Amino acid sequence: MEHISINETALLSIAIFLPTVGALALMFFDKAAIEGMRVTALVFTGLTFLATLAIWYQFDTSVAEMQMQTSYAWIPGWNINYQLGVDGISLPLVILTGLISMLAMMASWSITKYVRGYLMLFLILETGMMGVFLALDFFLFYVFWEVMLLPMYFLIGVWGGPRREYAAIKFFLYTLVGGVLMLIAMLMFYFGSAEATGGESVFNLLTLMEIAKEGGFSTTMQTTAFIMLFIGFAIKLPAFPFHTWLPDAHVEAPTPISMILAGVLLKMGGYGIIRIAMPLCPYGTQYAAYALVALGVFSIIYGAFAAMAQTDFKRLVAYSSVSHMGYVLIGLAVWKINESTGATMGNDYWAMGVNGAMFQMLAHGISSAGMFFMVGVIYDRVHHRDLNKFGGLMQIMPHYSALAVVIFFAGLGLPGLCGFIGEVMTVLATWNYSPLLAIIAAAGVILTAGYILWTIQRVYLGPEYKGPHPEALLPINGREATVAYVLAILAIVLGVYPEIMFGLMRESIANLTVNLAEGYEAARGLGEQVGVLINR
Amino acid sequence: MTPEAYIQTGTTLKWLLGIAWLLPLVGFAVEIFGGYWGKRFDPASNGKKTKLAAYMAVFCIGTGFLLSLSAFFIWKGATDVQLVTAAHAAEHGESHDGDHGDGHDHHDGHDHDEGHGHDAESGHDQDESHEHPHSNETLPPADDVRGQSPEEAEDHEGHGNDPYAAAFSGTFYELAHFGDLRISIDYYIDGLTLLMFCMVTLIATCIHIFAIGYMSDELTEDYEDHFVHLPGGKHFHRPGRFYRFFAFLSLFSFSMLGLVLAGNIFQVFVFWELVGVCSYLLIGFYVERHSASTAANKAFIMNRVGDFGFLIGLMILWTYFGTFQFANTDPQAAGDLGLFQMARDSHGQLDVVDTEEGKIVHLRGSPEDSERSIPYWLLIAAGIGIFGGCIGKSAQFPLQPWLPDAMEGPTPVSALVHSATMVAAGVYLTGRFYPMFTPEVLLTIAYIGCITLFIGATIAVVATDIKRVLAYSTISQLGYMMLALGVGGWGAGLYHLITHAFFKSLMFLCSGSVIHGCHHEQEMTKMGGLYKKMPITCWTMFIGVVAISGLAIPVLNVGLAGFYSKDAIVASGLAFMSGNATHFLLFFVPLVTAGITAFYMFRLWFMTFAGPPKDQHVYDHAHESPSVMTVPLIILSIFAIGCAWFGVLEGWILTSEPTHVAAGGTSAHHVALTLPSHDAIHGVHHTAGTAALFAAVVGAALSAVFYWKGLVDPAVIKRSFSGVHHFLVEKWQFDNLYDVMFVRPVHVVARWCTSFDKNVLDAFLHSLSRMTVVASSWDRKFDETFVDGLVNIVGTSTYRVGRSLQVVQTGKLRQYIMFIALGVLGLFVLLFMFFPRT
Repeated sequence: MEHISINETALLSIAIFLPTVGALALMFFDKAAIEGMRVTALVFTGLTFLATLAIWYQFDTSVAEMQMQTSYAWIPGWNINYQLGVDGISLPLVILTGLISMLAMMASWSITKYVRGYLMLFLILETGMMGVFLALDFFLFYVFWEVMLLPMYFLIGVWGGPRREYAAIKFFLYTLVGGVLMLIAMLMFYFGSAEATGGESVFNLLTLMEIAKEGGFSTTMQTTAFIMLFIGFAIKLPAFPFHTWLPDAHVEAPTPISMILAGVLLKMGGYGIIRIAMPLCPYGTQYAAYALVALGVFSIIYGAFAAMAQTDFKRLVAYSSVSHMGYVLIGLAVWKINESTGATMGNDYWAMGVNGAMFQMLAHGISSAGMFFMVGVIYDRVHHRDLNKFGGLMQIMPHYSALAVVIFFAGLGLPGLCGFIGEVMTVLATWNYSPLLAIIAAAGVILTAGYILWTIQRVYLGPEYKGPHPEALLPINGREATVAYVLAILAIVLGVYPEIMFGLMRESIANLTVNLAEGYEAARGLGEQVGVLINR
Repeated sequence: MTPEAYIQTGTTLKWLLGIAWLLPLVGFAVEIFGGYWGKRFDPASNGKKTKLAAYMAVFCIGTGFLLSLSAFFIWKGATDVQLVTAAHAAEHGESHDGDHGDGHDHHDGHDHDEGHGHDAESGHDQDESHEHPHSNETLPPADDVRGQSPEEAEDHEGHGNDPYAAAFSGTFYELAHFGDLRISIDYYIDGLTLLMFCMVTLIATCIHIFAIGYMSDELTEDYEDHFVHLPGGKHFHRPGRFYRFFAFLSLFSFSMLGLVLAGNIFQVFVFWELVGVCSYLLIGFYVERHSASTAANKAFIMNRVGDFGFLIGLMILWTYFGTFQFANTDPQAAGDLGLFQMARDSHGQLDVVDTEEGKIVHLRGSPEDSERSIPYWLLIAAGIGIFGGCIGKSAQFPLQPWLPDAMEGPTPVSALVHSATMVAAGVYLTGRFYPMFTPEVLLTIAYIGCITLFIGATIAVVATDIKRVLAYSTISQLGYMMLALGVGGWGAGLYHLITHAFFKSLMFLCSGSVIHGCHHEQEMTKMGGLYKKMPITCWTMFIGVVAISGLAIPVLNVGLAGFYSKDAIVASGLAFMSGNATHFLLFFVPLVTAGITAFYMFRLWFMTFAGPPKDQHVYDHAHESPSVMTVPLIILSIFAIGCAWFGVLEGWILTSEPTHVAAGGTSAHHVALTLPSHDAIHGVHHTAGTAALFAAVVGAALSAVFYWKGLVDPAVIKRSFSGVHHFLVEKWQFDNLYDVMFVRPVHVVARWCTSFDKNVLDAFLHSLSRMTVVASSWDRKFDETFVDGLVNIVGTSTYRVGRSLQVVQTGKLRQYIMFIALGVLGLFVLLFMFFPRT
């Protein structure tokens, strides 16, 4: 038993640092051995994915709390620990990260400039992403968050398109602003925790959650901290009006990096909200719930409209991400309370919303990464992305087009494919919270169908291809087909049998909603006592 | 039925229909992959494509039909339902005399009284505690919750049909559950499900076989598409897509059967969208034709507009009922109720209560949540929302314009998807979801149907494309079905759904045969006289025309299928009017339209087959279709003639009729609407039937005068009513209206959003960054002028001090020693002054 438990705890660290080991290994390669470096990097991402699957295998779905925890003192003077753990909320995202990284690496064969540097940065980026999802220490989380930022900056700024410097700096500054807000909030919690723990300030997220659950943070502090954390994460998500970095970053980033951006990085916004902002500020969450749902609904509609007006294929997909991630915000925040007692009403619907939001993140990770990949395949051939200069691809590349249509339909939210489950679950949960917002959110299905079908018509249908380089339109090769098939099949599997993922998440999310409800009532109760005292 | 027998039969039915449902999906996968890879890996088949995909598809759907049929017999044996009840048998034997109404009325009234008594005895403490007046006095006791169990249902047999007694419900697998909320893939099998299964699989089999012939010109490596003009003035060439067509047909069959088998409304929504996407793929089958892909988009998006309403309905139901299941008929899971059982008691009554906040409907459920209720207006909203989905799918006003455009697809698709099955799904769902509709919703349904049937028929009169005439006629007939459902003629609506499926798919296939024979000519103005060239097509088409017109032999009252079902609809309308005089349009419009229907259908037939040939070229090259196409026509025409005979079909449908329908008006006490009872409808059947028959005969006769005998020249009429004609040819201006109202504004708003991003958000950011740059340049200036200036000042002044001290450096040793001595002395003095003495 002892032996197994060591294995278990080591697994998480392996998943985080295996890519870094890969990056170091790449330094020993001869400069000319490009193919060898690519394969090595692919092997390391593949091993990392296997490690995440091993975590899944070891994972006990009936346990709501953190599992496979490990904790070592890192900077004892400040109470900073190297603390990791996994639960039903982080596990699906960890698996998604492993998968998308591997697929994006398979898509990286199109990179021919400074291959070693690209691969090393890519692998370091993966370490950062894994770390964010597995860290249980706020400081460690912050460190991984920033670790992720720099490689991404260079990956866009060096390997990107014509306006790469602009896009990279925009991405960097946006994320940095979010990081700074998070830093302030983090310090607020660090120093705020001293009172509740009896003099010792902590960064330990689990301890901080416990404190929040017992109402240890004042209502003012919770509200302020929540707003700061939320803006920080909403930039990443991205929600209107913090989204304008996304289209630029996507358009300029190389295809595999777009896949990572859409598939994993955007999920960190949602993950940050559900892992940090909500449990640490139950009162703040409830305080801002309506704004969150409204913002989500607005993002859905706004993103869909903006997507419809695009002529750049990648920009269109980027705006569709804004639209799709709006569902995540809705699902997380449909927390209805009885205004007079503070008791949660219809907890099942809220739990359904949160589950739906989580599922939507996974679904979007698959469909959006797939869409960017499909755009990349065609961009690699004809080197343009003007939607009005395509057409007829169904005639020339039927295999590719069929796969692309499946993936685009997943984005459209067609039943039987993954996008539908996330969208419909969040929307169904919304009526209980606010009928008006639910109706507006539901109207998104019409717009989504509009822009996706119009895109399919302009790109894939029609008699002939209208743009430059028609001779370059060769059928997709085995490597590309593999990536596309994996994503398409996953889209179908998750759409037909979503219980695979819901089964993982259910207990942890149920626990989360219950804790939040408790934390809210506790904070509110204390607030009322204070109010009574002041009135006296 | 014992619980064991229930489980046994339920499992058998589940697997029979489940396999019939999934086989086409397997077929789809094999056909699409086999078709794609087969020709690449097997060089021997190069250029000589096989029909394997078609045989596979026919096998799947044909097996599905056999399985459905055997499921029907097993179901019938296990539940001992009477398909032909004594009353029905008598009725069909004698012809409608309308004299057996009184006895029934009396019987019904008696039953109703019993209901009162029963109520008074058991009381209703839950509601009494509310102390609110009941608008519905016939409130049933709460302990009737378990009315779904067959044994207890026996008690209420006289009151009406108990649809749950012969229904089997259960779960295939669970999609997700959150606390008490559960969403799963269920099945719900009753008479209606089985009927739809048999109808869909039978018609689909015929159409699949027909398509082998119709699509045979796709069996080539070099298909020339005459409808696509390339810039060089040439036609478009491409490899044939025979296998792809059959793969899509199989996928459609799977989705359609899934829709029918669905045991909950969420699952219906899932398959609803899936049939929508199959329809999209099939309409856009000729992907290179811009008109086809536009029509496909239009169909999908208009359906999505309807589905938006559907989704709102789902949200309301989900929030207030917490379940999506139709009804739970499993005796072992009693108490775990479905939607219908929660909304209505075993008498089929809604439990409406007046409160300060308005009317609410009490829902029945497990004892612990007996306080569940839904505001009455939300129940209406949910009903209208769900019906919104049906409006989209069944091309009802105002979402009808997609259906005629959908004729861009190959003709077998029009026959299967856009007339017989998918578009009828809206009617099916309205029928299936009937217990959830309040009288207000039903009235909405009736008027929507009424408007639709008139619009469709009027446009059909001026259309000249043979398929478009049929498309508009489909819209009109679907309107009839909706109207019937809306006015309380539940059976009549679904009856017409089945008969219409047979004769309309027949007519579409006939038109396909004509188009195939005339080498893709669809304009009726270029046809004529084809009865000599294609006799089988001509006469099977004639059967379809007579069937849809509702003609019959007056004295014997024997007619083709459409006669019976249309009679039933008009009778329902008349009975409804006699109860609600203000809604007289719901009788007169369908009656008049029955005449218009006969007119345009005979017009179609005369223009195509009768008279002299109008275009000699088309006529010379026309030929009768091969037997693979004509045999399905003959089979379908047999059903179009006789499927309504002997009352079996009607009886079969009525086994699933919701409990409250038969008694009629009693369900509508709380609103000023009276729904007709079965007996009321029977009472006016003869009158309505005669009127409808008269209208049809007049329509047919007029048509003959215009288009056969040529006694009056239609062109003259056209000229004298050119305004009306133009309005009708422009399809009541719906397309133009929607373009102005929706399509263009959406694009405008989309551009606004993009420019907001660019000109507001990004501009704000850029100005921020410019401000930063300006601020830092100020910073630099500050650095350079002040900070650097200060440092420079210090530097220069040090230098100057140094320079000025130059004078003391004389180089004279004595002077230096003196300076040193003075300095040391000064230091000591300072030291002694400040050093603390201890």
